[in-house]
Amino acid sequence: MSSTDKDIKKQIDAYVKGQLSEEEILSLWAEFAQNPSLLEDLELEVGLKKIIEEAAAEGQVSNTQKASITSLPVWTWHAAAAAVLILIAFVQLLGEAPRTELEQFVVNTVPADQIETADGIRSKEMILTEADSLLNLGFSALVSENNDQALSLYNEVINKYDVEPYGSKAYLNKGILLYNTSEYDSSITAFENALSRVQDNRMIQEKAYWYLANALINTGQLEEARIAVINAYSLDGVFRKPAFLLYKKLNYDLGNVDLETSQGN
Amino acid sequence: MDYSRFVYAVQKNDVKELNAQVDVITAVLIKFLRVRLNATFHDAEDCAQNTLLLVIEKIKEDKLNNPDSIIYYLFTTAKHDYLKAQGKIKEPVYDDVPDSYNEDGDQLYNILDDERQEVLKKCLGKLKPDLRTYISYWFENPRDEAAVVADHFGISVNNAWTKKHRILKILKQCYQKFINL
Repeated sequence: MSSTDKDIKKQIDAYVKGQLSEEEILSLWAEFAQNPSLLEDLELEVGLKKIIEEAAAEGQVSNTQKASITSLPVWTWHAAAAAVLILIAFVQLLGEAPRTELEQFVVNTVPADQIETADGIRSKEMILTEADSLLNLGFSALVSENNDQALSLYNEVINKYDVEPYGSKAYLNKGILLYNTSEYDSSITAFENALSRVQDNRMIQEKAYWYLANALINTGQLEEARIAVINAYSLDGVFRKPAFLLYKKLNYDLGNVDLETSQGN
Repeated sequence: MDYSRFVYAVQKNDVKELNAQVDVITAVLIKFLRVRLNATFHDAEDCAQNTLLLVIEKIKEDKLNNPDSIIYYLFTTAKHDYLKAQGKIKEPVYDDVPDSYNEDGDQLYNILDDERQEVLKKCLGKLKPDLRTYISYWFENPRDEAAVVADHFGISVNNAWTKKHRILKILKQCYQKFINL
């Protein structure tokens, strides 16, 4: 076995054990695409792990069933209850519940799959316009980490084809690109431009509101972020769950009364 | 898998070669979507087909011809297509803000097939007891480094990896023998 093969086998082992980063996982999948027979190795290791874990779990169950039950004297239960009460009192007096940080709810990097391209080809009658092609080229440039070229292609769409759906798609993509390069103020403007143009496209609207909210948090504009996140949540799509969590967290941090809770009371 | 052959087959409209390549890529994309996005088999199959149509179209237009770019393009497009298709699905309402928020991990068990698992169980049962003990220890203690396993069995780290690979090879051979029966 060559050293490269050994490295890949070690990567598969680490993947099965959940020890790989997102970047390493993507790189391993690129290896699988190059050499699909490696997927058989992955299947073998995953299958083996499952069988062995199940066998171990069954062993534990049978061990539990065989265990004898020993009765404790009554005073031990009283002592245990008293100890728990003392512990709770200490936690109430001295301890503070662990708090979640706002950063935990904010998107670090927007993945490339959020980029809008030409609509998927589902029919032979569909014709790709030049604006579609520019959007696709922008996506290719972005995937190849050529950000300057991607930005220039999106600006070309905005300058030449500022009609729907191209304008909103190009602004959304530009906003995502700027967000990923930490240019949050410019990304906010881009997302707002996408929102002012979008027509009948819930997915673009939802992405624009969601990433606008994230960009606003990164610039410390929490109240504005709260409004954007409500809009993302109300669109009731793929960002509903994270938008709801972020909304509650922002309300908490801003000291606002949680409307959903207070309505229920 | 040579992606330059795939590009060439598209450009030359070599239907026979293209069909063979498409079958392999489709299988990889389906597994990718099943594992990484927890897609059902049918959704994954639809997305893989859409993705390949899009990629073939781009190759024909000469907008995509670098084999390395094609791999990443295939994965990102497949993921994009799947998430787009799933856009209408509602998420459950959460009553409380949890302590932390994480994305779902990969669903590696989705790669498994019940029939093949039964074969693997039989092969594991046929393994020599000392080898079975070794591989069981390896997978029962997933958080342990190879060094810990090596120490437990009194062997070097290199030998620990070699022994694991040897056992997997034996199991794979047994597995393939059963499948080909």
